[in-house]
Amino acid sequence: MGGGRRRLTPYLLLLPGAAWLLVFFAVPMALMLVMSLQQGSVSGGYHLTWNWGIYPEVAGQYGNLFIRSIGFALTATVLTLAIGYPVAYTIAFYGGRLKNALLLVVIMPFFVSFVIRTLNWRMVLSDNGLVFGTLKDLGWLDPAFRFLATPASVIFGLTYNFLPFMVLPLYVALEKIDRRMIEAAGDLYANRARAFLRITFPLSLPGVVAGSLLTFIPAVGDFINADIIGARNPEVAMVGNVIQRLFLSVNDFPAAAALGFVLVAGTMFLVGLYTLVVGTEGLTS
Amino acid sequence: MTDPEQRGEIERAIDRFLRQDLMSRRTFMRRTGRGGLALGAMLTLPSLLAACAPGKTKLEWANWPLYIDIDEEASPDPTPYPSLNAFIKETGIDVHYVEAINDNEEFYGTIQPDLAAGNATNWDIVSPTSWMVKRMADAGYLEEIDHSKLPNWTANCADYAKALWFDPDNKYSVWWQGGITGIGYNPELTGREITSFDDLLDPKFKGRVGGFSDMRDMMTLTLATLGINPTTATVADAQKAKDKLLPLAQAGQFRGFYGNEYYDALSAGDLVASVAWSGDITQMQLNDNDKVLFVIPSDGAPRWNDNLVIPKKAAWIDQAHKLINYWYDPTAATTLSEYIGYYTPVKGITERIKADADAYRNDGDTENADYYDAVAPSVAPSADDLAKTFDYPQFENAADEKAWNDMWLEVTTAAG
Repeated sequence: MGGGRRRLTPYLLLLPGAAWLLVFFAVPMALMLVMSLQQGSVSGGYHLTWNWGIYPEVAGQYGNLFIRSIGFALTATVLTLAIGYPVAYTIAFYGGRLKNALLLVVIMPFFVSFVIRTLNWRMVLSDNGLVFGTLKDLGWLDPAFRFLATPASVIFGLTYNFLPFMVLPLYVALEKIDRRMIEAAGDLYANRARAFLRITFPLSLPGVVAGSLLTFIPAVGDFINADIIGARNPEVAMVGNVIQRLFLSVNDFPAAAALGFVLVAGTMFLVGLYTLVVGTEGLTS
Repeated sequence: MTDPEQRGEIERAIDRFLRQDLMSRRTFMRRTGRGGLALGAMLTLPSLLAACAPGKTKLEWANWPLYIDIDEEASPDPTPYPSLNAFIKETGIDVHYVEAINDNEEFYGTIQPDLAAGNATNWDIVSPTSWMVKRMADAGYLEEIDHSKLPNWTANCADYAKALWFDPDNKYSVWWQGGITGIGYNPELTGREITSFDDLLDPKFKGRVGGFSDMRDMMTLTLATLGINPTTATVADAQKAKDKLLPLAQAGQFRGFYGNEYYDALSAGDLVASVAWSGDITQMQLNDNDKVLFVIPSDGAPRWNDNLVIPKKAAWIDQAHKLINYWYDPTAATTLSEYIGYYTPVKGITERIKADADAYRNDGDTENADYYDAVAPSVAPSADDLAKTFDYPQFENAADEKAWNDMWLEVTTAAG
């Protein structure tokens, strides 16, 4: 009897997590799939017609937006890694007593709401604003130069907004590396660069994996940056913008649901591929 | 900082900053905030809950943000609206005024399920735009207006504000406020006069002009340049407009397709010219940037108006009529127009505002006198304004409308 209960224990422990996934992932995904297969209008109501044709239709119409979104998100992820790694490394290895204070500094701007922060960047980076206005007044910049409403500005916004999601996991991974291993590498005549490449970096990979997932996944579906910093320039529209407009402005729920479904499924596929290549031990160790 | 003179200067700067903020708040999101964050919908949630309670004590009115006169000093007051307060005092009918509409479609989505199920919504009055009135009336979602209860409307409604295409007999709706979608531009930055929508598409201004994200506004402006009457345009006509705009969008002609944020970009000079709402530019000249001019494009531009309608099965139909009638009282309409500056449906308001300006000038208050003088001509369209403007496209059916929307989304995302 006791043995039976023990066999059940792991499954019982899984229950809260499984219920979470069911309620907040599986059910919404199923609802979204069903919605995408309906036809009709807001006034007349939508009816399930198993209209699978919607998928090739939206893929044809908005296919290049998926590519653009993935490109933006990927670039932002690489940039957050390039910026975040030295930051996390410095705090973890040289932070000393200031570690917690430095981490707080990293997170501090994020006590302000996402939208407000992004709106403020729009003000700072506007054509004749604090930064570019000054440079133009000094004659160091072409008066026609602009940064807002360009793909670079959206990538900037994504990079900035998701930076802490990269720094924190990196810090955790770097922090717990046993320093004696790096000393041992030195004892074995490895120079500092070699010690970094062979010891520190591989041991920090869990942080890299976790950080890039936490950055890439929200970035690929983001629409706030393209809307605010990108000023709804057509060249910077991402899939999230189309989904938002289809849902709220056009009320074309099936097309929006189809795009949303493809976005989530596509992101899962990419993430799966990534973890297959890099491995998941990193995330659990 | 310790130098008192310096401190005074800083305080003045802060004061200026705050005032500026107030002014832009006034114009911010005043109208169709496409892509808005459904903030309005969230704000209404408590009111919806309140309205669910038995024993109705207030008339519930859903309107667009910043579309009524506000006494800014009385802002903690639940109804800091002088003209509305006068009505409440006069009739004893309490009104719960909610800025619940940021977008026609979005708001419609919140009430349509109830209406479709034959239930009452929580609203007694809502303020949809022309085409939305038609959609709601066609679906049987609106109560008929009883004109015997609207003597002020019969006596005071201007000709341009009655018997419009979406409701030719004013059976379901009367005009609330309206305006024109034209072009705002800064001649110092464009270096030349702008007179038409095609001027906005001049490659010289590549990346420095703004469009709207609103499909109806943009398609109307474009169709007019092609010599097609936008009001009766077909899907094939829309295709021609799309064929004109898509290559321009792909080539980066538009800095962006804006909602209400165009105001800041145009005022700050990020945009040299932009599609713009008439009332906004009046406000901009007065408060933020007096260099910016408004023109109605020579080929034609859309005119629009928002309306007062009573949703089916509203609880307080009689009281709703009283409030609607009240807005056609010239005194109330003047108070309202002096603050918001859109097209009023009531006759003779321009003259009344001018009279108020003169009264201020006689009192030696030139600041207010100048303000009212500037607002006065903008509260009613001239015959010339009306001749140069079109009603929005009128789609045959939902499938046509979807086709227009799809084409427009392609332009705004440079997809395809």
